[in-house]
Amino acid sequence: MSTKKSILKKTVLAGFIGCLSLAFISCEDNDNPAPKSAGAFFLSVNGETAEYIIQTDNLETGDLHISSNNKTLLQSGHTWIFNDNPSVAVGLIYQQGDPGIGLGFGVDAEGKLKELKNFLITSRYTSYGFFENYALTSVGGVTPVDGNGNAILDENGNERSDGVTFNFIDLNNNFALQGKTITTLNITGNGDQATLSGIVDMGNGEFLTGLVVSQPRDPNATGGASSGTITYPDSVWVAAFDANLSLKRIYRDDRISYSSGRYRSQYYSQMGKAADGSIYVFSGSYESTTTKPCGALKINKNATTFDQSYHFNIEEKTGGYRFRKVWHVSENYFMLELYNDDKNTPVTVNSAATQYGIVDVAAKTFRWITEIPAKDKITGTGLPMAYEGKMYFPIVEEDKYPAVYIIDPATASARKGISITGATSLNAIGRLTYQ
Amino acid sequence: MIRLKFYSCILFISVFTFPVLSQTHKASSEADTVKHDSLDEVIVLGKSKVREIGESAYNVVSIDTRLLHNTTLSLTQTLDRISGVKIRETGGVGSDSQISINGFSGRHIKVFMDGMPMEGFGSSFQLNNMPVSLAERIEVYKGVVPVEFGSDALGGAVNIVTKQTKNTYVDVSYSYGSFNTHKSNVSFGHTAKNGFTVQLNAYQNYSDNNYKVKTRLLEFSEDGLSALGFTQEKQWFKRFHDTYHNEAVIAKAGIVNKAWADRFLIGLTLSREKADIQNANVMQIAYGGRERKAKSLIPTLNYEKKNLIVQNLNFSLTANYNITRNNNLDTLARQYNWKGEYIPKGSKGEGEYSMSEFDSKNVYVTANMNYRIREKHYFALNNLYSNYTRKATDVAANSENSTAATFMRRTNGKNILGFSYKFEPGKRWNASAFFKYYEVNVRGPVSTTTTAVYEEQEKSFSTTGYGVLLTYFLSNSFQLKTSFERAYRLPSERELFGDEVLETGDASLKPENSQNINLNISYSNVWNSTHSAYIDVGLIYRDTRDYIRRRVEQNRGGAFYTNHGNVLNLGIDCEARYFYKNIFSAGGNFTYQNIRSMERYNANGALDVNYKGRMPNLPYIFGNLDASYNINNAFGKGNTLSFGYNLRYVHSFLRDWISEGASDDVIIPIQLSHDMNLTYTLKNGRYNVSFEVKNIADEMLFDNFSLQKPGRSFTVKLRYFFFNNNYK
Repeated sequence: MSTKKSILKKTVLAGFIGCLSLAFISCEDNDNPAPKSAGAFFLSVNGETAEYIIQTDNLETGDLHISSNNKTLLQSGHTWIFNDNPSVAVGLIYQQGDPGIGLGFGVDAEGKLKELKNFLITSRYTSYGFFENYALTSVGGVTPVDGNGNAILDENGNERSDGVTFNFIDLNNNFALQGKTITTLNITGNGDQATLSGIVDMGNGEFLTGLVVSQPRDPNATGGASSGTITYPDSVWVAAFDANLSLKRIYRDDRISYSSGRYRSQYYSQMGKAADGSIYVFSGSYESTTTKPCGALKINKNATTFDQSYHFNIEEKTGGYRFRKVWHVSENYFMLELYNDDKNTPVTVNSAATQYGIVDVAAKTFRWITEIPAKDKITGTGLPMAYEGKMYFPIVEEDKYPAVYIIDPATASARKGISITGATSLNAIGRLTYQ
Repeated sequence: MIRLKFYSCILFISVFTFPVLSQTHKASSEADTVKHDSLDEVIVLGKSKVREIGESAYNVVSIDTRLLHNTTLSLTQTLDRISGVKIRETGGVGSDSQISINGFSGRHIKVFMDGMPMEGFGSSFQLNNMPVSLAERIEVYKGVVPVEFGSDALGGAVNIVTKQTKNTYVDVSYSYGSFNTHKSNVSFGHTAKNGFTVQLNAYQNYSDNNYKVKTRLLEFSEDGLSALGFTQEKQWFKRFHDTYHNEAVIAKAGIVNKAWADRFLIGLTLSREKADIQNANVMQIAYGGRERKAKSLIPTLNYEKKNLIVQNLNFSLTANYNITRNNNLDTLARQYNWKGEYIPKGSKGEGEYSMSEFDSKNVYVTANMNYRIREKHYFALNNLYSNYTRKATDVAANSENSTAATFMRRTNGKNILGFSYKFEPGKRWNASAFFKYYEVNVRGPVSTTTTAVYEEQEKSFSTTGYGVLLTYFLSNSFQLKTSFERAYRLPSERELFGDEVLETGDASLKPENSQNINLNISYSNVWNSTHSAYIDVGLIYRDTRDYIRRRVEQNRGGAFYTNHGNVLNLGIDCEARYFYKNIFSAGGNFTYQNIRSMERYNANGALDVNYKGRMPNLPYIFGNLDASYNINNAFGKGNTLSFGYNLRYVHSFLRDWISEGASDDVIIPIQLSHDMNLTYTLKNGRYNVSFEVKNIADEMLFDNFSLQKPGRSFTVKLRYFFFNNNYK
């Protein structure tokens, strides 16, 4: 232990020296005061077949060629998520019934990209996020087993499908991965089961996740998703779990529909924490049977119920357009990905959504983002990064290379940043710092 | 007589008997007149067919595989030794293998058995598990495919010709080798005086495939609850879950030489296989319980009549009905590593929980008619009809992607009509032209509204292909050949329909198409009846366009299929061989193919940085060398002791595009391996004992990125062969 500590000390010291020298150099080069600690932007891009990692210091302007990449990945199609402390990029992957090789990246004292670990993603995931020192994923609709590995049966003798499997990826322990499965039958007391959507760390040893409460999936039907028929489309449930996956409480409300963005088999998070620590629970009103307009509710910091005084009817502000994805930008600003057709066209698991807007959840305002490509020209987007109050959003426009659009949430206007020559997609952007 | 012996021995020695040895023609015509009751004759009699194919204008290689019956090669491994052909295997016995001909693979080439497409036979009855002794001859058509093979192959075809002799034979063999590999084969044929004929062929393969591989280990925590990630260092592990077995019986019975039929056979093929799945498509992911199973039942019918109604009008008809079932099993709630250790999982399935079962049924009917007028004009008409039905029968199928429509019927009816005309004014040259009319009719579920309601719909699609061929004999030694084809591959039902929920079909898709040009020159000669040699050089040109590929565009929601891509291949295939009497032979082949993307824009419409770049993940330089030495009458008259050596070389290649800056981390390294064999044949081939060593140097071999193939192996094979000429 003491050896570990001393190594840590040495690394920190080395890093400190590294930073100092970097600072010294940058002081010589220009007059930038107080340079930031060593860090870099981390980009995941796809070429024709492979996925590559590119490191850069600049997202603001210019072109970067795909061949300037730092690494060719073994597998292609990772979902990237970025954590601040420790500062790591986690690449999740799971394809066609095969486990995938997950990746962990950081930067060294020189701000250079560093591959930390390869680990095995043992279960499929449809939702993901960070909780304490874990990257956490979940997937619903799995067949749970008993201690002997035999499927747990329902009263009719059929295999149950109400299991939710979590992967706990320990960022402080070399990406050690532990799978845990819970059952969700009757989790809300109405006999239904649940698929989980989104992971928000409450900061008090618990995390919140949206529940998509449904009947068991009809094994003969449905399209790609783990949910069956939604019995209560006009209610929202959010569960709080602790690190042992003990259910602490359930938040329930009838002012909005469930909180999840559905795309193919995925359940995108529609929750986010604002700068003041309160958690906003959005609902894009995916379900065609819901009577509730898309909107948001609030859970104040450490509160055990929804804030009954807060309801934001977003649908009336968007002119009838509903949304699929939600990301926090800064302060009270959230960015929404909206469907291209308004609510009069039924939404399915593969409806197109390439319109974007900014909401201010405190002021309850909505603005369409301007100066980005037209919705019918956007052939792909990537994971955006909130950085220094702005949103850095990768967009692929028809006939063009992927580019980063830098969005100012206050004005909802964008400008074009760097583009990646030769890439077919820009999957994710994150910032990694040496700590 | 001496001549005969000499040439038959050439055939015996050479690992491959290429068709360009014009002298062997004389030998075979002599053989026709000589009554000779030995194995030599069997081989020589068949030679004329091999020779005939070689003299055609097609860029074709025809191999007399009877010379390989003492080896333990599978049919795919045999193909791997042909110029321009590359086999890529993912592992040991029974592993997936992909055939590529001049850069084309997968759906772009077609494999036939006696002229019947093998795609419907199921995985339990495919080339990678068939013993070489099943075939009498293998024909590989590169680029231009004759109309007799009704197919929408873009870039070539392989035809396996099985034994069709009217003589009586018994061929029994058994081999045992490294990794607990057992293979056996029994084949029997008899034709009675009254014309009743029966043919039976049965084979079996078994292997533990427990060879060693070097990969990274997934470590587990001491409490057995967590996976700690992969080690940085690679270590050696013995494969522990890769047992494969496969059995097949092919039976045919019928009559020959009747007024109404030269040949009428009814047959039944039964086959099954079971394979453990050891790893994912990246080798460091290990499994301990996943399996796949397949079985197939294939009734067949075969009818041939020469001089039907009028002189020189020949007719044949073949029909197959293929019933196959495939199972994929992944039920263990465990996570394995390469040590064979595991930690428990809270849910079913090492990968995705599956007990899926897919049934498919195919009908293939091919009819061929040809007519010759005054030895100069030759007409052929061929029609292939196929109908394919696939249905998932188990609801636990693919839980992620299954939809109501997954369980609906899909059918794919295809008809390919071919017509060819050949003009042969004399021995010096001949020319031909052909047309192929392709038609596909698909039926399947289509989503009629946005709310996943399906109804069965039907769509049709047709196109026309054509080609010309010419061959010219400059002298007795030199032959020139050239051929051109405009070939098509029709869209599949999936491409036309999509998968209903996540993919949308597109009826406006164009067929994938290719313009193929071949130019071959060959030389062969014999000096003093002691030395003989031949050389064949082939130039190939393949311009392939409108690849059908799947694409997702966010503004369109789901995935769809689109035509995109233009690939040009300029290549050269060379073969050379030398013989010294019936004692020594050496030969080799070499292929270089310059396969480049000629697409200026990527699928999104932006300039493609890979324009003119070498296509990744394709071997582009490869070759083989072989030599053999015979000691005739060793330890007794009529006995032969043979030594054989074979070298395989494949140049390294990148998995991804170099123009995108793909790194050397993801490379398929150089493969250089050596095989040797020693065969002792007694009593003119009646008793045979062989000993083989493969991969002598125990090299780490890869055909695909990270998927390591077996190291050094030893095999002993015993074989008994009895042959009786019923027509003496």
